[in-house]
Amino acid sequence: MNIYLLSLTAAGLMIITGCGNNTGPGQPGGVAKKTTIAFLPKSKGNAYFISCKKGADRAARELGVELIFDGPTDPDPARQNEIVENWITLGVDAIAAACENKEGISTALRKARAKGIKVVTYDADALPDARDFFVNQATPEGIGYALMDEAARLCHNEGEFAVIIGSLTAANQIEWRKYVEERRAAQYPNMKMAAVRPCDDLKDKAQSEATTLLSAYPNLKLFLSTTSLGVPSAAEAVKQAGKAGQVKVVGLGLPSENRRYVKEGITDSVILWKTEDLGSLAVRAASAVVSGALKPGDKTFKAGSLGEFQIEGDNIILGKPFIFNKDNIDQFDF
Amino acid sequence: MRHESFLLLMLIAEWLLFAAVGRNFTTLDNTFDIIRHSGEIGLLALALTAVILTGGIDLSVGSLLGLCAILFGKLWRDASLPIWLAMTCTLGAGALAGGFNAALITGLRLPPLIVTLGAFSLFRGLAEAITRGMDTFTNFPPTFLRLGQERWLGLPAQAPILILFATGIWLLVHRTTFGRSFRAIGFSPEGARYAGIPVGRRVTMVYVLAGLTAAMSAILYTARLGQAKADAGTGYELLAITAVVLGGTSIFGGTGSVHGTLLGVAALAVLNNGLVHARQPREVAGLLTGLLLLLALAGPVLLKKLAERRGRWHSPAPAIQNNETA
Amino acid sequence: MKRYFLEVSVALALGAVLLALAVFAPAFYQPQPLLSLAAREAPTLVVACGMALVIICRHIDISLGAQFSVCSVCAGLLAAMHWPLVFVLPASILLGAIFGAINGALVAGLGLPSIVVTLATMATWRESLRWWREGVWVDLPDGLQWFGLSQFAGQWTLILVALTLLAALALAMRHLAAGRFIYAVGSDTEAARLAGIRPQRVTFGVFVLAGAMAGLAAMMNVIQSPQVDPNSGTGLELKTIAAVVVGGVAISGGRGNLWGAFAGLLLLACVGPALTHLHVEPYWDKAIQGAVILLAVVADGLRRRQKTL
Repeated sequence: MNIYLLSLTAAGLMIITGCGNNTGPGQPGGVAKKTTIAFLPKSKGNAYFISCKKGADRAARELGVELIFDGPTDPDPARQNEIVENWITLGVDAIAAACENKEGISTALRKARAKGIKVVTYDADALPDARDFFVNQATPEGIGYALMDEAARLCHNEGEFAVIIGSLTAANQIEWRKYVEERRAAQYPNMKMAAVRPCDDLKDKAQSEATTLLSAYPNLKLFLSTTSLGVPSAAEAVKQAGKAGQVKVVGLGLPSENRRYVKEGITDSVILWKTEDLGSLAVRAASAVVSGALKPGDKTFKAGSLGEFQIEGDNIILGKPFIFNKDNIDQFDF
Repeated sequence: MRHESFLLLMLIAEWLLFAAVGRNFTTLDNTFDIIRHSGEIGLLALALTAVILTGGIDLSVGSLLGLCAILFGKLWRDASLPIWLAMTCTLGAGALAGGFNAALITGLRLPPLIVTLGAFSLFRGLAEAITRGMDTFTNFPPTFLRLGQERWLGLPAQAPILILFATGIWLLVHRTTFGRSFRAIGFSPEGARYAGIPVGRRVTMVYVLAGLTAAMSAILYTARLGQAKADAGTGYELLAITAVVLGGTSIFGGTGSVHGTLLGVAALAVLNNGLVHARQPREVAGLLTGLLLLLALAGPVLLKKLAERRGRWHSPAPAIQNNETA
Repeated sequence: MKRYFLEVSVALALGAVLLALAVFAPAFYQPQPLLSLAAREAPTLVVACGMALVIICRHIDISLGAQFSVCSVCAGLLAAMHWPLVFVLPASILLGAIFGAINGALVAGLGLPSIVVTLATMATWRESLRWWREGVWVDLPDGLQWFGLSQFAGQWTLILVALTLLAALALAMRHLAAGRFIYAVGSDTEAARLAGIRPQRVTFGVFVLAGAMAGLAAMMNVIQSPQVDPNSGTGLELKTIAAVVVGGVAISGGRGNLWGAFAGLLLLACVGPALTHLHVEPYWDKAIQGAVILLAVVADGLRRRQKTL
């Protein structure tokens, strides 16, 4: 009988306490608190988002807003939704999200907007009706085309190349690959995408895959990687196979992870954008939407110390993808 | 003290802690969030309770969730079946997959751990192969999405489903001869066989149930997210097993309870939710889950050892035992 | 021969795969890539040996991957702080042994089920590592790669270390009393205890050994590239469990040997590269791996069924 009594007490307790009211965003009756912005990466434990966070932290400090940084630690698609829904209940003022699953996350973001929370996306967009603005570092088209153009330049417009991706199911990688293929078909028909292999977001696996690809496709001229893990791993594989110079490496990657290979000449160039600025801009945009400084229909956005940015429709454009190579890679430390 | 009582106290302590430390934790909205987020894992944990009671294990339920989700999407979108028919076919597919596991386990007397480990890769692999990894299914009709996102009579839509299913499983395990036979099989398969229990049929039953539940969870998951992807449900099997073991069911089978599993699911759900409200990062949730599990396991054993030491006359040193009867 | 049916059938399956490759994709058999592949899999073999011992002892350790990750990062950090290699290597092994000791204490000392204990410790180590490192790689100093030797020498060193360890352990399991104790405890704990063996000590020792192997493997992995990825151990435990079981080690303990585990690992390790060479689309990977595992286990089941009929 003991446990039943205990259960009833527990249930009663939870029901009584559970009927409290939400202190949502913008509700009166309380000391004016700091604006809270929740920053969602695609996943934690990813150096790319760590550097975005650095920029976000800096912006939060400068603006005097409170920043919550949290994200999924496992690859299940529903996790981002759960975190967003928890933030809705927590009562944040704005959410800046990098969306792993466009449609899936929109379900949660729409709910947030319905509750008065401002939503800004960065790095990877949600559906347009689920957010106020998208901070676009470069369109997926721009990224895909830039990758293919660099690849073609290194191969002199002909030859076989292999693509290393993070995982088969990652939405943005699928999109980038689509545009790489589109560009290839349109502009570089003499180049052939010989194989695509996922590395499950593991550096060691990326290196193994690259090594295997080198032996499976003896005519391979280039590795193209859409995941930042892939570029240094492919470069290491090329180096260990003794094919430095014969097989080129290009892809999206952080300068810090690729510096040594760029210096050694194995990787010619790495493409990315200023990730810290991306994070910073996302936070600033979110804060501006909350305060009303940024409204739909605005054509430019003044982002404090970052400068002024163009707005196309509801996309705030950070700028074009940036190509890091031997000449400039030392200037960056992320 | 019984394991379930101990767990209940821990749950209350968690609740009170987060109520004090977290902002907006003790609101109705949040309670509904907790229920909604633990829907799929709750269902899986309930079905796995029956499996683990028989001394088996099923590591493939998470992957099966992913496979069923994309099968559901494919049936609805590409085969243009009406939603309810797609749902029924998906449930059938789940049951079939469970039957596949059961056939290998009972027919060939293979260890469940390794059969379901292979199935874990196989099902996920099939999901990826069917979608080529890239395909996702979205734009489900709004009436379907209500299942995962809206409220019926003020409660989240998952709640009645969870309550019905939990009641059903509880009755199955605790009030029917089937349930008793599960424990008997877990305790001693050979003994159960000699006692006249159709071991093969009962074991098949639990695995088919697990497969069916994975399919049901897949449908709920898709409704909640509004999207079906091949990597849905990654890691859910370990979370469900954690909840089951936390609830006091012995991994070797023979002892355990459904209400324990429910408490385990609740404890984990409250932990995950509360930490967000307490502004702690996700990793702390994983870390604390591991520690909580160790505590829940080691606690009773340590207490027992202390009691033995303090006791006037010592019981003979136990041989390494398989089960602890609560 | 009959006694080693599963091991032999795995070897045959491996032979079939290699033959298929020789016919359809002879490019597989180039010395440098094969050497690289072998060097890459050497750490996995070391961990698989540890896992095999644990499983023969009728336990399981799903925290080995997490232990591997933590040891890799710690070894990398120590090296980055310019500790000499001669201290980093034992430090890594020691750390692994400590993790193993924790597992062993809980399993042997408190009698808790190993699957749950190692599930809990896996979650604890993995999440702590993630919280601490946040996914940032560790940059290693230049002289560390390949132990400072040339790439060729380094790769051969790794392969030889792994193979020597395998052979030593396999022989020890067969000829040393300690090895036989592991089999005894794995087949029937009570009988072993009555025969005078201390099951708790054997169990504890096996977990410590497995942890130490994870530490060694971590070091072997770290010296293969100039950066350490904190996620590097992900999936290692499932890979090694599958390899070991496919190779004939029974999950119920007391049966199997390390050579079988080796064959199982080779088979599973070849599947991925074989698929790439045969130009199979990557989204078939997991399905084929799962099918291989199931086929191996089914073959064993059928054989045992034949015996009883």
